Amino acid sequence: MRGIALKAILALAACAVLVVTLGNSSGSKASSTLIFAGAADPTYLDPALASDGETFRVTEQMYEGLVALKPGTTKVIPKLALKWKSANRGKTWTFWLRHGVKFHDGTPFNAAAVCANFNRWYNWSGAFQDPSATFYYQAIYGGFKHNEVSGLQPPLYRSCAAKGQYKAIVKLRKASGTFFPSLVIAPFSMQSPTAMRKYGADQGELRNGTFRATGSYAFEHPTGTGPFKFKSWTIGQKVEIVRNDKYWGQKAKLSRVIIQPISDSTARLQALQNHDVNAYDLAAPQDIPTLSGNSSLKVIKRPAFNVAYVTIHQGSGPMKELKVRQAVAYGLNRKGVVNQFYYGTGKVAQEFMPPSLYGYAKKVQTYAYNPTKAKQLLNSSSCHVPCHIDFWYPTAVSRPYMPDPVRNFQGFQASLENSGFSVTPHSAPWRPTYVAKVNEGSAGDLNLIGWTGDYADPDNFVGTFFNQTTANAQFGFSNASINSLLLKAKNEANFAKRVALYQKLNQQLMKYLPGVPYAHATPALGAEKRVHNLIATPVGGVWFQYATVG
Amino acid sequence: MLKFIVRRLLLLVPILIGLSFLVFIWIRALPGGPAEALLGERATPEAIAKIERDYGLNKPITVQYWDYVKTTATGDLGTSVTTRRAVTDELKQRFPATIELAIAAMLFSLLGIPLGFFAAKHYGKAIDSASLFVSLLGVSVPIFFLAILLKYVFAVQLGWLPTTGRVDARIDFDHPTNFYLLDSLWTGDFSIFWDCVKHLILPAIALGSIPLAIIARITRAAVLDVQNEDYVRVARAKGLSPREVDSRHVLRNALLPIITIIGLQTGLLLSGAVLTETVFAWPGIGTWLVDAIRSRNFPVLQGGILFVSVIFVLVNLAVDVTYAVVNPKIRVS
Amino acid sequence: MSVAELEAREVGLEGPSSGLWSEAWRRLRHNPSAIVGFVMVGTFVFVALFAPLIATHDPLEQDLSLLNGGCCPGPSAEHWFGVDALGRDLFSRVVYGARYSLLIGVVSVAVGLSIGLLIGAIAGYAGGWVDSLLMRLMDIMLSIPGLLLAIGIVAALGPGLVQIMIAVGVTQIPIFARLLRGSILATKETDYILAARSVGIRGRVILSSHVIPNSISPVIVQGTLALATAIIDVAGLGFLGLGPQDPSTPEWGTMLTDTTRYLQTAPFLALIPGAAIVISVLGFNLIGDGLREALDPRFRGRA
Repeated sequence: MRGIALKAILALAACAVLVVTLGNSSGSKASSTLIFAGAADPTYLDPALASDGETFRVTEQMYEGLVALKPGTTKVIPKLALKWKSANRGKTWTFWLRHGVKFHDGTPFNAAAVCANFNRWYNWSGAFQDPSATFYYQAIYGGFKHNEVSGLQPPLYRSCAAKGQYKAIVKLRKASGTFFPSLVIAPFSMQSPTAMRKYGADQGELRNGTFRATGSYAFEHPTGTGPFKFKSWTIGQKVEIVRNDKYWGQKAKLSRVIIQPISDSTARLQALQNHDVNAYDLAAPQDIPTLSGNSSLKVIKRPAFNVAYVTIHQGSGPMKELKVRQAVAYGLNRKGVVNQFYYGTGKVAQEFMPPSLYGYAKKVQTYAYNPTKAKQLLNSSSCHVPCHIDFWYPTAVSRPYMPDPVRNFQGFQASLENSGFSVTPHSAPWRPTYVAKVNEGSAGDLNLIGWTGDYADPDNFVGTFFNQTTANAQFGFSNASINSLLLKAKNEANFAKRVALYQKLNQQLMKYLPGVPYAHATPALGAEKRVHNLIATPVGGVWFQYATVG
Repeated sequence: MLKFIVRRLLLLVPILIGLSFLVFIWIRALPGGPAEALLGERATPEAIAKIERDYGLNKPITVQYWDYVKTTATGDLGTSVTTRRAVTDELKQRFPATIELAIAAMLFSLLGIPLGFFAAKHYGKAIDSASLFVSLLGVSVPIFFLAILLKYVFAVQLGWLPTTGRVDARIDFDHPTNFYLLDSLWTGDFSIFWDCVKHLILPAIALGSIPLAIIARITRAAVLDVQNEDYVRVARAKGLSPREVDSRHVLRNALLPIITIIGLQTGLLLSGAVLTETVFAWPGIGTWLVDAIRSRNFPVLQGGILFVSVIFVLVNLAVDVTYAVVNPKIRVS
Repeated sequence: MSVAELEAREVGLEGPSSGLWSEAWRRLRHNPSAIVGFVMVGTFVFVALFAPLIATHDPLEQDLSLLNGGCCPGPSAEHWFGVDALGRDLFSRVVYGARYSLLIGVVSVAVGLSIGLLIGAIAGYAGGWVDSLLMRLMDIMLSIPGLLLAIGIVAALGPGLVQIMIAVGVTQIPIFARLLRGSILATKETDYILAARSVGIRGRVILSSHVIPNSISPVIVQGTLALATAIIDVAGLGFLGLGPQDPSTPEWGTMLTDTTRYLQTAPFLALIPGAAIVISVLGFNLIGDGLREALDPRFRGRA
């Protein structure tokens, strides 16, 4: 009797062992590891010192800012700050902070930590003042406490005071509309002051004119408050992050995320097809049908955050007249081009910024393709049919907002010729000539160009295009009304007022027509069907917090 | 003998100088600078000017060359424009990956020796013509096409082997030498070693197939030559068994041109590595340089190409010396 | 002293005689692989020359309506090789691609051969410091692996069809230079040349009636093989994106660049141009190999 029981127990034990070992074989069953392929390695894991999307993809999992964008949208929501208020005409900002948050190294997150971060940025000196080190800080805040390099703006920041554990008061030297929205972006995340001090986060040098961090913080000890924490970084090969089990919010479902750089987009596609990775970013538009057609894969689309447009140079030639510019707008078959050459990932743009961004006007003047109207306008202007124009386009390039410039041009050329224009084509390779020519205004009457947003603020779009310098150089115009609206919106601290100003600006722009926007493209991710809740943000990041595999 | 080696070493100096000058000039001749490549639409004139200042691109050319020689002599190959890391550091990481691939490909190509030998033994018969045809076919297929085919058949369709990288991303292990096969053996975990091997198989086959075809052909030709030499006929007449004739006389003497050809394959392996690595996303020198060209990463291009060429020159030197050691006839010239 | 020079030396040892050529031709005609090679190359050249008559469609014409189901419809009665990602007929593109490959091969080899032979002749005949200097230059060029050198030249000249032809041609200069120089050196030392000189025949005559005819055979062999290499190298450059910048150019290597992403859905897009490259290159290699065997005096008496 005992013998049989013993054998039975042993047999059961053997089965259990078998089941456990088989169950642990990776790949076939639900996994708590996600492998993600990006296009390049991060530069530093200290986001304050970086400006590339690949770095931010990783740091956005480990660090958090005072505020954040609602995942997948451009709406600002509380994160490490629960409440905020601006006073003194936008020069003083009070933040009430979340309680009970700890950095990954156990340091408590509090007002002192917030001020430590702000003051760190403000007090940077030497090599850190080089734009290759602190691009975003300089873009928003201008200069530092002691500007050591000429060409730096006076600093926007004045001081930060901690009132108790959970109240931080930031004072600025003047009102700024971009200060608050910029707090969502990765470079302004809150980092552990203890870890930064311990591992030399402020050690760096200039080598061959470029900044290099020399402390170990940015390579081996990045410390934030996020749902994932750092495990390891094999430079050039992969970054590994693991779940933060002490996270203050909703804990991640995945226990491990590995991010690998694969620079060739076809190699990324094939890695996914072969299930070497679970998902990848920057899917080439031509691959979207392949992904959709594969029964085990899917496409995850981002809300569009870019714009492709046709510059109209008014400096000399017929474009000075509004009627001629309007004729161009009516003469471009934008719908046809977007339908044919964007492989299903584009939509026609009606304004110079994407619809998902606040400040997008609900109603603007639109210009549906209408050759007859275009000809009428021309004949009532000083440039009768045929109106001779020079149209430039780039070769040897594919941009996220304009995957196929040559064919876009060919489509536009044909529709413009139908609309009473006589188009002389010119082209130049994207590098080194084309961009320079466009920027300095020597690329004909019309040229194709575009922009991908850096951060979710209208100033990054319309401010970049139509500030006085660029308006003059690239577009050849100077319009007092547009310029003053731009400046007013940039410096307006009240959010609602700002939104209204940008909406008004967009309406004016679509009446004045300094150019004609034509497409917003939605760069996509490819993923296995069994990956769920992987959220792609408009500005190019990815959220792993809610994702699961299998 | 020593005089020969010394003479060849001295010849190295003007070659290296000429090479560094060539690379330097070439970099400056590349259209556009790193600025436009990095900045894209954000390439305002001020940003471009700043990058040019930082890289000393607006100093007179002689000053630039002298700076370049000075820094290179100290072993500082500059800073990569895209990753901001020292070029030397990236080289240290990338080079072992390419070497590992090249050695694996070379080992694979040594299969050409028995193949060529077999073909020579059956000279004139159908098998010989067939093997000749196959080896010519091997030389006629572009490496990247072969790589794509292998990837398609074995990875995408059959799923037997992985498509990219050197090891499964889920696996963690220390690689101090960056030679993954060695490092994984050192960990004692056989499954890691096996995973590294699996990743190496397809790229090694793709890269090694052309050298294999060449080695097979040369082996066949060399064996055929030697077989008809007098001393082999004498050996046969003496009554030695065919196996003894082969091993003692034929092979040993045929080995000479074979060894030379193996050495000469280095150039082919280095060039082929560029294409093979691109197809398999192998993180070696090839992908590094191709990315650097696309992003106009001057320091990487300068340092990388110089380094690769120096290695190539040294290997050629080693081959010539080996050849001279083995074949006394040459030294006299 | 390199293997190439050794080979050149061995081939050049025999004196010139009309018997060499007629016997070589006879051996070539009986070599089955060489015959296959001739057929392949013949087809290739025929297709290249008569492309407009052979192609069924315009290689540049796009019919995007065919792509409504995504990429790409495979071979059919209307489109023998199927249709590519922009709705163009693949058969016609492959046919016209033969023209580009032939052109590229011939021009690159012509560049490499003419300049290389010139340098080799000067070096071999002048000797002394001129020889040393030129050969050092060749060594420097050879010290950069072939494809990297070609990439470097294309990067400096900018991408484009003409540029890759020049780049590939330049990479072949050192090979021809060393070949001819080796041949000349070998011939210079032979007895009958010494005899001719001692009898008082002028250098120029010796050059034209003895040295050059002797050196031609390895050059012919090398030239054929160089054609094969040129086609492959150009395809490689095109694959890396350094070739003709207008993506509508039907050059085989460039056609392979963008089609590798469709391996799972439309493999024929990559397989067919790739096969075309292999066939034409194989043809040249077979001929070159056959020529080498035919012209090699060591094989005399063994046929």
